[in-house]
Amino acid sequence: MLYRTAGQFKTSYRADQALFPVRQDAFLLGVILVLAWVVFPLVATEFAFQTLLIPVLIYSLAALGLNILTGYAGQLSLGTAAFMGVGAYACYKLITLMPWMNPIIAILLSGVFSAGVGVAFGIPSLRIKGFYLAIATLAAQFFLVWLFEKWSWLYNDNASGAIQVPNLEMFGVYIAGPQASSTIQYYVVLFIVCLLTWMCINLTRGTLGRTWKATRDMDIAAELIGINLMKSKLTAFAISSYIVGVSGALFVFMWRGAAEPNLFDIPLSFRILFIAIIGGLGSIMGNYLGAILIVGLPVVLNLLPNALGIPIDSATVEHLNIMIVGSLIIFFLIVEPHGLAQLWRLIREKLILWPFPH
Amino acid sequence: MTRFTKMAVAAVVAGIAATSALAQELYTPNLAYRTGPFAATGIPLMNGQADYFTMLNARDGGIGGVPVNAEECETGYSTEKGVECYEKTKDRSIVTQPWSTGITLQVLPKTNVDEIPILAPGYGFSPMMDGETFQWAFNIPAGYWDAADMIIQYLEEQGDLEGKKIAFLHLDHPFGKEPLPVLEMHAENKGFELVPIPVGLKEMQNQSAQWLQIRRERPDYVVMWGWGAMNAGAITEAVKTKFPMENFLGVWWAGHDADLKIVGEDGKGYKSISWSFPNPDAPVMQDIQTHVVEPGLTQSNPEEMAGVFYSRGIIISAILGEGIRVAQEEFDTAEISPSQLRWGLENINMTEERIAELGLDGMVPPFQTSCSDHTGNSGGWMLEWDGEKFVKASELMTANVEGYADIVSAKADEYAEANQPWAVNEDCES
Repeated sequence: MLYRTAGQFKTSYRADQALFPVRQDAFLLGVILVLAWVVFPLVATEFAFQTLLIPVLIYSLAALGLNILTGYAGQLSLGTAAFMGVGAYACYKLITLMPWMNPIIAILLSGVFSAGVGVAFGIPSLRIKGFYLAIATLAAQFFLVWLFEKWSWLYNDNASGAIQVPNLEMFGVYIAGPQASSTIQYYVVLFIVCLLTWMCINLTRGTLGRTWKATRDMDIAAELIGINLMKSKLTAFAISSYIVGVSGALFVFMWRGAAEPNLFDIPLSFRILFIAIIGGLGSIMGNYLGAILIVGLPVVLNLLPNALGIPIDSATVEHLNIMIVGSLIIFFLIVEPHGLAQLWRLIREKLILWPFPH
Repeated sequence: MTRFTKMAVAAVVAGIAATSALAQELYTPNLAYRTGPFAATGIPLMNGQADYFTMLNARDGGIGGVPVNAEECETGYSTEKGVECYEKTKDRSIVTQPWSTGITLQVLPKTNVDEIPILAPGYGFSPMMDGETFQWAFNIPAGYWDAADMIIQYLEEQGDLEGKKIAFLHLDHPFGKEPLPVLEMHAENKGFELVPIPVGLKEMQNQSAQWLQIRRERPDYVVMWGWGAMNAGAITEAVKTKFPMENFLGVWWAGHDADLKIVGEDGKGYKSISWSFPNPDAPVMQDIQTHVVEPGLTQSNPEEMAGVFYSRGIIISAILGEGIRVAQEEFDTAEISPSQLRWGLENINMTEERIAELGLDGMVPPFQTSCSDHTGNSGGWMLEWDGEKFVKASELMTANVEGYADIVSAKADEYAEANQPWAVNEDCES
């Protein structure tokens, strides 16, 4: 009833190809955007910004980048965290070498470096597939983290080997570093995430997205109908790494404030891969749902016992948390192996028919 | 935008008002790690810290009549969780105890804006000693550079270091790299050769490559900056390769009883510098026995309580407790604010008499902090593993702080420069 599509006639090609042909979808998105842009910043506390809103957005963006590569183009990658690291270190070098540079421009530029590195490590994908490619990207993961440790130029020869975000100003307001307010950082992250998501939605529905999907579904068939596999795979690596790199720069500059090389080690790669898988491979929205489940839920669960007034050890809460989140992941994967996005898709279909199913 | 800030401020004020309306307490959260890869070393420290405050609350009703709420926030040694804990506790807390170099690095710049003292006893960033620059950060009673200096002093007592070779086995991580500036300085001045051997985080448990290198290099001494699983890995590997244990020394975090118990007799002679020492006869241990252990309020066990790390936990809490007491006396209020606690931590004077009053006899060397000296440079003892437990192998040693005072101020300035605008304490005279 609420989701009835009857009566929504498309009278032009333009209307038919709109981003959200169903009115209710557009309305829902509008509500989410109002929540994100207006309501959350008004009501959120410092704690909510730092542990829920900002990290969920950044992890979603990283998963989105991985999803372009793995979900749309079918190239399995285990090197996401290393590409995030390239973005973060590139941004650090840009900012320290050229302090006059606008921080948002620097963040967006740093993705270019990780795109370059991504393409270099994507070249083997032309010859090897599936799990073998995953091993090749694993090489990127190990090599790059090793490089972050050994190449002291990257961290300006700091004795500690870590990078520290300086206070960065834009139009007289601090947007990064310890002096920056969480609200401002949230808006910067939200702006970049919205921009890149909008770009990705359009990319995946266009020619490029279709060539990626064809490559994913059967590369020989794709080649036979005239798709240049090299171009298709390498553009997927480039765009995916670009987004991942930007998310890495945001990760350090807009949230963490400091980073040591082992931050970008394999557990982070797995975490992002899990977000993408549980959210749903080959979907944009799934990344957000996955990030809420994997990044946001544990934080909320940690607060629960205190909010309910249950006296319980903080270490026990942590153990319980790991168990609950783990079993939820298994539960969701059993209920819907194609991820949370597919779950929403099914709910939506049912809602459209409701209350008169066939 | 200003309206948003106003509303946010209003919300924070309301939150503070709501919480302060609750029972009177001193909220000193501890970012503990009883889970994760470093839990084995974390648990005894956390138990010691918790038991000391439980004892104070039971015996004296807290400090100055106000109970201490030393709630733990579990981080699992993960930086991400640590920042989560910091954000969660900072509205009410009077101190933050980050408990990992990674978390310290993240929280350090934030505390300067949020104005909460950060207490990192024996870890964190060595230049924190400079109280003018790091006005909110404390690494009482000794920093890593003190440790490096004392280890070199001890080795020099054993014989001239000219032409000797010292291998520096360290975790390839900000923590492991900390003492390098001081060690390099000594290598240059004293004419020994320093061979840094990094151990990657992934290789902690399997150090055969590093020990192969040690066998090839044939160093006179091996100095270890290890933590967690790395220590047990190195010690078993040293026993396996028959490295003479008396020439193997570690920092205070590499002196965990459980790591040495694995090798037992074979580990005899292994040394670790330490600013804390377990004294089972100290009055504080008796009080803990009556007020904490007997009512069944401890999570510890007798074996652990006899160890170096448990007693170090007690000392850490005792230092914090002393800072609180000093602040209470100065400001004549029981419920102190974070900035009052900062004053307290800056004015600790742990004399021998005070140590005895606190019942910590022989567990910590005397030290004194000041506005410009946020470390106190207590010095420490060289402990030696006798096959069953750690015993003192030296008199109390003190670090020659003048020797690297230049490096401290240079590094502190560098940090402040990189984090402009960085508020420094102008009122301090150094």
